[in-house]
Amino acid sequence: MYLYLPVALTSINILIPVGLGLAVGLLSGLFGVGGGFLLTPLLIMFGIPSTVAAATDSNQIVAASTSGTYAHWKVGNVDFKMGLYLLVGGFLGGIVGVQAIKLLHAMGNADFVIKITYILMLGIVGVYMFIESLQSMKKKTDSVEQENDEKESVVGRFLKSLPLQTRFEKSGITHSVFVPIVLGMFVGVLAAIMGVGGGFLMVPIMVYMLRMPMHVVVGTSLFQILFTCIEVTFLQAYTNHSVDFILAVLLLLGSTVGAQIGAVFGRKLKAEQLKILLAGIVLAVTVKIVFEITLTPALLLSQVGGH
Amino acid sequence: MKKFSVQSSTFKTAACFMLSLFTIYFSLFTDASAMLTAKANHDHITIDFFYHGSTVSVRGLSEPGTDLVIKIASPEGHQLLKQKGKVGGMLWMNVGQLKFENTPNFYEIFSTKKVEDILSNDEMEKHVIGFSALAKHVEITPVANEEEKAKWFDEFVKFKQDSKVYASSFGEIKTSMNANGKLEYYILTEWPYQAQPGDYLVTVYAVKDHKVVEQATSQVNVAQVGMVKSLAGMAKDMPAVYGFLSIGVALGAGFGVSMVFRKGGGSH
Repeated sequence: MYLYLPVALTSINILIPVGLGLAVGLLSGLFGVGGGFLLTPLLIMFGIPSTVAAATDSNQIVAASTSGTYAHWKVGNVDFKMGLYLLVGGFLGGIVGVQAIKLLHAMGNADFVIKITYILMLGIVGVYMFIESLQSMKKKTDSVEQENDEKESVVGRFLKSLPLQTRFEKSGITHSVFVPIVLGMFVGVLAAIMGVGGGFLMVPIMVYMLRMPMHVVVGTSLFQILFTCIEVTFLQAYTNHSVDFILAVLLLLGSTVGAQIGAVFGRKLKAEQLKILLAGIVLAVTVKIVFEITLTPALLLSQVGGH
Repeated sequence: MKKFSVQSSTFKTAACFMLSLFTIYFSLFTDASAMLTAKANHDHITIDFFYHGSTVSVRGLSEPGTDLVIKIASPEGHQLLKQKGKVGGMLWMNVGQLKFENTPNFYEIFSTKKVEDILSNDEMEKHVIGFSALAKHVEITPVANEEEKAKWFDEFVKFKQDSKVYASSFGEIKTSMNANGKLEYYILTEWPYQAQPGDYLVTVYAVKDHKVVEQATSQVNVAQVGMVKSLAGMAKDMPAVYGFLSIGVALGAGFGVSMVFRKGGGSH
């Protein structure tokens, strides 16, 4: 059955957005990522204008992350305190990132910087997570913990020397409030430049730099993504008129259910298994983008707006 | 006086000749203009929630021995598109924007025979019939030379054909002679759902000896109705309300599904 999308001005088989929503929601619930880096290009591939695809994606992430956050919160896997500090940092970083992208557009090389940032960030994060989780799976648990303790002692001394140390009970860690704010800012800047929510950057940062337990990372990341996407959806609807309500409803029909299933599955998987799966997806997207920019495209013209 | 009478005689001869010419011309013209007719059936297409394109048929009468060209086009305007190019000799990136002026957003040509075989270049250009004529009609900026313009026009047509809003074909118009010895023509064409709401002009050209001898027009109107129209209007006219509504529904759906899973035992 086909439905007409009033803002995208196109018709779509309802099974496509519902199916895509289900798949991306599943990833959301499993890994704590919004899935924008996957869903937006897929929607464009199915004929949705790029501006509408990006904006509507944010709208459906609101639903998926609400569903996912709730599912994780029910089992105590959301660190609200940490999430709030990361949000503050992400908000500040977003402001800086938007200015940076304006400057790049004015200089005329925004697309180049966006694409290269995408490849570098996805590539580095993917490779690091893949190798690290592979090593963790091979090595015995005690030796990994010992190694982690050694790593922490190097970076830990600097982090512990920072002022305003505070305890994050849910994650079982202590950090200066500046650590999540600065890291949140870093992700916010990159997310604004790349035009994504930043979940795939935030998750590794929480795992490797903040040393949070993987299952709490997923819930907390979803909580943070929820607020980021509420802001982005409103801004897109208000300034660009590019949110397609009907498309968002079709997507969220799948993604909200997918997020619940993902959260259930996630609890049955070990942290290393989750990390290596996410690393595999991130690397697959990296390879896809590398192919995209090296192979001659079928069409040399595209609509203005989006990425 | 004589001179005048000669002049008068010459004048009378010339007047008679001109009158004969006008009589012949008008008899032909009035006959022809009454001949070619064009009627688009299903000329008001409504877009509701279940719209997935439509069909449009054009039918009419023409003089026997004429070929026919049917052009369906939206009003001309300008279009801004992102242009891909190679950066550093190996990476495909968006390198700028191109402005295409005097271009319709929708352009379809149907003809009884290949347009280039039945119309002279001058006639094609005069009536903007066919992609080669459209290429000369369009203005593209910024381009360095004619070669570059031709390259980007080809890309423009590829882009539009990919979106199903540009097409050109021949041999699909059905013709037959009716009882009055007139040529009846008919075409049924798919109307793509990608065609945006608006007014479209259907022009039928009767062609003889590589020239357009007559033309007739009809209109197709495509409009959103009901909830589709209300939502599209709300997104443009009340963006803040629309934004809050979108967020509210997403939050509600997220919580709603969570509740269902909780009750169903999905979450534990």
